[in-house]
Amino acid sequence: MPDTAEARQRIRSLLVELLGNDQFVSRVSDTESLRTAGLSSHALVGLLVAMEDAFGFEWQDDVEPEVLRSIDSLAGYVVALRN
Amino acid sequence: MPNYEALHRLELNYLDTPRIPTRDGVELYYESRGEGTAITLLNNFFISAPSWRVFTEELARNYRVVSYDMCNHGASSHHDEEPTWEEHAADVIGLLDALEIESTYLVGTSVSTALARDVALRYPSRVRGLVLAGPVLGPRGMRRHRQIQRAWLRTLEDHGMAGLYGHIYPEVISMEMNEALGSAGFLGLRESFLSITTAEDLRNGLTLALQGDTSPELLAHIQAPTLVILGDDDNLLSPTGGKELAALFPNGRCEIMPKAGHVPFFDDPEYFQELIHKFIQEAESAAHA
Repeated sequence: MPDTAEARQRIRSLLVELLGNDQFVSRVSDTESLRTAGLSSHALVGLLVAMEDAFGFEWQDDVEPEVLRSIDSLAGYVVALRN
Repeated sequence: MPNYEALHRLELNYLDTPRIPTRDGVELYYESRGEGTAITLLNNFFISAPSWRVFTEELARNYRVVSYDMCNHGASSHHDEEPTWEEHAADVIGLLDALEIESTYLVGTSVSTALARDVALRYPSRVRGLVLAGPVLGPRGMRRHRQIQRAWLRTLEDHGMAGLYGHIYPEVISMEMNEALGSAGFLGLRESFLSITTAEDLRNGLTLALQGDTSPELLAHIQAPTLVILGDDDNLLSPTGGKELAALFPNGRCEIMPKAGHVPFFDDPEYFQELIHKFIQEAESAAHA
């Protein structure tokens, strides 16, 4: 069961796999808006799908927009689900 | 066959290009791709000029494809008051003048099909043809569309942008696409939606959408060749209604896109572009016959 730091690191790894390099991950902070930092719609959807497999859950339509804002908010959501 | 590949490649980034001045103080963001006969794309209030790129790539190989942001929307200049439909129509002509486009095909989507109609009525010599995708125009009027737009406006005021997205998504997105994209797609596209526009721009746009002439009789005055493109899963207009609408134009016809929703190029941009390409070829042949 991941803690928040582990979940953040896993999400970063998923982004590196999706994007094919670590350029985006190396410059985005944990709390920075992924959208503002330039993550494409395609990459975000890909990340959400990859998170379902990596963390063993399914997204629901009622997730608030704030959850998708940053690596930190995504990690917090995963940890909260597990707990 | 829908595969949503283009939707996944959706681009929202603006280019660093000069704005086009049209009316007093108005400057429009625009993009122009390709060469040849012009196709001018008219945004509805939920999309932006850059978002057309992935849905018109094939057209840009054969035509000059122009997209722009309407005044008070996207990256175009913002002013205290939302322009009237007449001013938006004048902006289209100002854009064409600045780009030295004598006449163009207009592609409208949803609410901008009403703008396409208005431009064709006011400036017939500048319009070679109309493509109306998921029209808000109805064969007997626009009552249903007005009611839906008013409900969207209330949702925006009461529940904000995310609430509005949750309201419009099942109404404008086809069942096929909704199931295919799942919750990850729903949530990911919401992020795109939230970055394309603002609550203020949308409030102004949806308020404007409640205004203007709704008479079907106007359509009989449009001589330009007109193609209605309608998804057969468009909740706002039935295929029968689309065919009746096309029949009101002196030179109109309707093409139905299977399983597509209110924004049919989301579902199958390849087929959408094929339909437009074929329509323009036929219209140009007739014009030169």
